[in-house]
Amino acid sequence: MTTAAPLRAERPYDPADISSTEFWAGTAEDREKVFAELRANRPISWHRPVHNGMFEDPNDQGFWAVVRHADLVEVTRRPGDFLSGKGITFESLPLEVLDAAQGFIAMDPPRHTKIRRLMAAAFTPKQLARIDDHIVANARRIVDGIADKGRADFVTEVAALVPMHNICDMVGIPEEHRRTIAYESQFADGWRDPRLLQGAEPMARVFQTVTTIHAIAHELIDARRSKPENDLMTALVQAEVDGERLTDDDIASIFALLIIAGNDTTRQSTSHGMKALTDFPDQRAWLMEDLDGRLPVAIEEIIRWATPIMTFRRTAAHDTELGGHQITEGDKVIMFYSSANMDTEVFDHPEQLNLSRSPNKHVAFGGGGIHHCLGAQLARRQLNATFRELLTRLPDIHTVGEPELGNGNFFHTVMSMNVEFTPEAKASAEKR
Amino acid sequence: MKIIVDRTKCSSIGLCEATAPDIFEIGADGALQILLDDIPETRRVDLEQACENCPTQALSIEG
Repeated sequence: MTTAAPLRAERPYDPADISSTEFWAGTAEDREKVFAELRANRPISWHRPVHNGMFEDPNDQGFWAVVRHADLVEVTRRPGDFLSGKGITFESLPLEVLDAAQGFIAMDPPRHTKIRRLMAAAFTPKQLARIDDHIVANARRIVDGIADKGRADFVTEVAALVPMHNICDMVGIPEEHRRTIAYESQFADGWRDPRLLQGAEPMARVFQTVTTIHAIAHELIDARRSKPENDLMTALVQAEVDGERLTDDDIASIFALLIIAGNDTTRQSTSHGMKALTDFPDQRAWLMEDLDGRLPVAIEEIIRWATPIMTFRRTAAHDTELGGHQITEGDKVIMFYSSANMDTEVFDHPEQLNLSRSPNKHVAFGGGGIHHCLGAQLARRQLNATFRELLTRLPDIHTVGEPELGNGNFFHTVMSMNVEFTPEAKASAEKR
Repeated sequence: MKIIVDRTKCSSIGLCEATAPDIFEIGADGALQILLDDIPETRRVDLEQACENCPTQALSIEG
């Protein structure tokens, strides 16, 4: 049975705070206390708009919070009722930014279906198996870079570099643009972080990111048109949808999505994974007993633990119902992935890292809808290659102190995190 | 058994391939290919799983 729906403007706000800047600047552990209460008592709840001092939308009256695993999966599987085309973040971003940077993730069928199909071939399990040697070589060269040092900032020297090289290899981005690309991709969510902004005005900084990424995209579009290569950029300039070539702006937007989604997700999973392996030594010991055999299962738990994307938004296409609540056309519906991945209805003791967890029905890759992560297999292979390389060559690598966390509501960001280990040269000399 | 693919719905998301890579494959052109014409009864559970997992309900079993 559903209750009569109060008008959006008159709906009372839930007392739990999941909208404030302070809530998102805290730790996942603190946020989980609030989510646990919502999951138990008010699984679908209406909240005041997120407050951040930028992208304030006077028409934004709030959002529905979807916190249970089952409800989240349902929302992802009802793309006709819950649209992506109005934006996928809490904030009502300017349309120019949506169009320029969110590619097909902020599209609905039928156009989403056609663009997605174009990209699919490059990301299948079999295609990724073909480039696995490459992924392993990238992991090796990154660990080479720190192996003799004994200490490192794990984020900038390892976690950020792994996805940067791999996604750039696939898309076809030359070495000279890679650091710029990886750095700029942080502003997709980091525009609210004074540590990243360094005095810049947030809106201006986001537009600077868009301009920078698009300039590189347009340079590559021209290059591939005159000389095709075996990469995604070439596939995009040659692609036809409904008998028409994609426009340069379409390609640049897809390009922006690929590099943001490719860089900022695996980076977080790698960092949170390293922290978890430090915090749960028993689990690490279990893993090390059979690293090759156990890593694939362990990686799934590391991904659940990290939940690199914490939220995705949908917008109600029409009046509809969800979990007994009447949802009004145009309502924002936010799915909380970090909450769903801690749902005790699905996970036994979710607050404990359990590297042998199987089955592991985490929703970190989406929840089974049409926007299911295109790069899921790429992410798995990268995490596999990176942790195998790290744990084999630097077996005592561990984090030191607490990581510095981001303050966004989209990516579960680790800004920096110190690690220490016995340098490889020293360790092998001692063995001799 | 046979697998029927509704080509107007299939978006090549590849969850079927993740379930049964010897039966489903997203090809080089991005289109889903069914690798086995006649699928033995022993694989029914896998096929049902693939159909249920499909985000666009593009798959069905015949026979």
